[in-house]
Amino acid sequence: MSTSTNSGGQQQTLSLDNAATASSTPLPLASDPNDNNNSERLKQQTQRLTHHLNGLTSPTIPSPSSAANVSSSNGHEASSANGNNNHFITSSTQTIITGSSYPSNGDSNSSRTFSNSQKEVLRLIGQHLQSVGLSKTVDILIHESGCVLEHEQASNFRELIMSGKWTEAIVALEKLKQYIEERDGIQQMKYLILEQKYFELIEDNHAMEALQCLRYEIQGLKIRTERTHELTTFLMFNSMKDMYKAANWSGKGFLSRQNLMEKLQKFLPPDVMLPPKRLESLLTQAVELQQERCTYHVRPGTLTLEDVSLLKDHACSKQTFPCVTIQTLTEHSDEVWFCKFSPDGTKLATGSKDGYLHIYDVDLETYKMKLRKQFEGHSFGIGCIAWCPFSRYVIACGTDECNELWIWDVEQEEQRSRMTHTPEDSLTCAAWLPCGQRFVCGGSRGQFYYCDIDGNVIDSWEGVRLQCLHVTHDGLILAADAQKRISSYKFDSLTDQQIIHEDHPIMSFTVSKDGRLALLNIATQGVHLWDLHDKQLVRKYQGVTQGNYVNHATFGGPNEEFIASGSEDSKVYLWHRRQERPIMVFSGHTRTVNCVSWHPTSPLVFASASDDATVRIWSTPEHQTKTVLPNNEPSS
Amino acid sequence: MGRVFLEHLGGQRIFSCAHCETPLTNRNELVSTRFTGATGRAFLFSRVVNTKQSAVQERMMLTGRHFVRDISCKKCDAKLGWMYEFATEETQRYKEGRVILERALINETDGF
Repeated sequence: MSTSTNSGGQQQTLSLDNAATASSTPLPLASDPNDNNNSERLKQQTQRLTHHLNGLTSPTIPSPSSAANVSSSNGHEASSANGNNNHFITSSTQTIITGSSYPSNGDSNSSRTFSNSQKEVLRLIGQHLQSVGLSKTVDILIHESGCVLEHEQASNFRELIMSGKWTEAIVALEKLKQYIEERDGIQQMKYLILEQKYFELIEDNHAMEALQCLRYEIQGLKIRTERTHELTTFLMFNSMKDMYKAANWSGKGFLSRQNLMEKLQKFLPPDVMLPPKRLESLLTQAVELQQERCTYHVRPGTLTLEDVSLLKDHACSKQTFPCVTIQTLTEHSDEVWFCKFSPDGTKLATGSKDGYLHIYDVDLETYKMKLRKQFEGHSFGIGCIAWCPFSRYVIACGTDECNELWIWDVEQEEQRSRMTHTPEDSLTCAAWLPCGQRFVCGGSRGQFYYCDIDGNVIDSWEGVRLQCLHVTHDGLILAADAQKRISSYKFDSLTDQQIIHEDHPIMSFTVSKDGRLALLNIATQGVHLWDLHDKQLVRKYQGVTQGNYVNHATFGGPNEEFIASGSEDSKVYLWHRRQERPIMVFSGHTRTVNCVSWHPTSPLVFASASDDATVRIWSTPEHQTKTVLPNNEPSS
Repeated sequence: MGRVFLEHLGGQRIFSCAHCETPLTNRNELVSTRFTGATGRAFLFSRVVNTKQSAVQERMMLTGRHFVRDISCKKCDAKLGWMYEFATEETQRYKEGRVILERALINETDGF
């Protein structure tokens, strides 16, 4: 193709000058020898088009040809430069004119050979042009390139199917016989066609014809006898609706014929008949891949072709990513140890060393937090908070020496119950079961209880020192113990199963929504991601300093592909799940960051709790401007 | 059953299974020698390799109630001792995660 550019320029002027002659010169025969009718038709079309173009182009763009004339009269030096110029000027019209001038350089057909992939690209383009209705362009494309979109018989066959000419379709199918690879493929295809015919006859109330079709045509194929028997039953239905339902059929018309066509397509090799919308499906795949590779992608759902520009690769900018503090919550008077959004995302709970549990209302538009309630009366600092699955109750647990836990009703804004055990007990962690009426709790002194919502112990387990608890959506109880392990516990059968064994103590862990991945904060080692099914370490995330204080990491983003964790260097680290190195590091807190919680429904916001007695809400710069706050600090 | 994978902790004085000579631990991991097992004298180690663990059992010992797992040799399955999963007495908590090997069931040899 590249070699033709220069000569193309020359041909350009030539074709403009000799347009009249070009149109009158006899057209070379089409490249496709078995397509005489088509080439004949195209010849006429091209002639018409050339005339038409002549009429159009000669008065409107005289400049190229005149420029060329001038340049040639000016001598050699200018001619080469102007020749180039000329080429550029005309290039905009070239696409059209090349089409019309095609007959004049008919030998290009034979001289130009395309590789297989080039041919395939041309076929894809052709198919796409056809689908948007540019059929003339397609004809020209076919002629100029010498590539056929699909086998003529195949397109003929498709037309017959779509217009419901079953008998002709079966005749046409015979001509495609040689291309069908599967041994009884043709029988199967016939069966599918006749099945469609049969259904359409029933729908048109031609019961006799339908019966004949079944008896003589379908049975005559002598395949799929069971299905044939099944087909007979569809004649018996009183109402069409019942028949549709039983046969799982969408009714006569475009849709069901399209479905049929897709089924038939599978028997034909793609070089005979292109799969429908091939170019579009390829582009969709490309967009999917780009989304997967996009580092800062927080938009929920999958991208479609409409969402992106195909002219460049999709990549989200940092500006659409939560990277700035939009609000700093300063209501706590001491170190904030824990923060957690409710499962429905409407509230944020924070727990502090000062013994207060704060509940904030979340504005889902601006992501601004408003203090709703301060729960007091805790004898210890709040080290762990568990929201019930319906976002109504909250369990607050204290530190290692705390033998109590509190259950608060956030809706009624009152204490639901309080569990107090002997002073030797410690209750430091808790997790709700999916029913929202029961929970498990425990601590490092070996308590492990299964309780109801009023704090009554239903069952207990001896001999495990708990660090952290989690219950998956299907009710599996997972617990990290003091011996660097995470195991699953079944209270009904009193069986446990070890899943993870780390080399260093596990401070806390959380589990992804699908229950497949566990994110662990390991003392002195940082953040580890484990696969709970395969029982294997997936990735270790780099950057954080952890070891002296209990830290809680979080999953985040629409498909939980982000991971965030606090660090003892006062920063928040953020990773993409597939990369060890952090993609962002946030400064702002002045002391150790203890806990990060990502909003469960909106991927654009997360909260971090720190020893500096504040909770920071992080979101996009766009949300920063929505809320007016005095002490906004930009991220690093 | 594949070939049994065996570790070696190295060290100066090696303790190994008396039955099959599989190396289990070394003197650096030794915490205390003042323990008593079913066969008499027993040692407490902080780390032992090449062993298998049984299910948890509750056992009443001289020093109180404990949850333990029996330890046997990974290669020859011979019983060697037990590991402490949980000690109900706060004073005995240092034993948790550590392993008792009975002196009569192991050999002590010079390493390199």
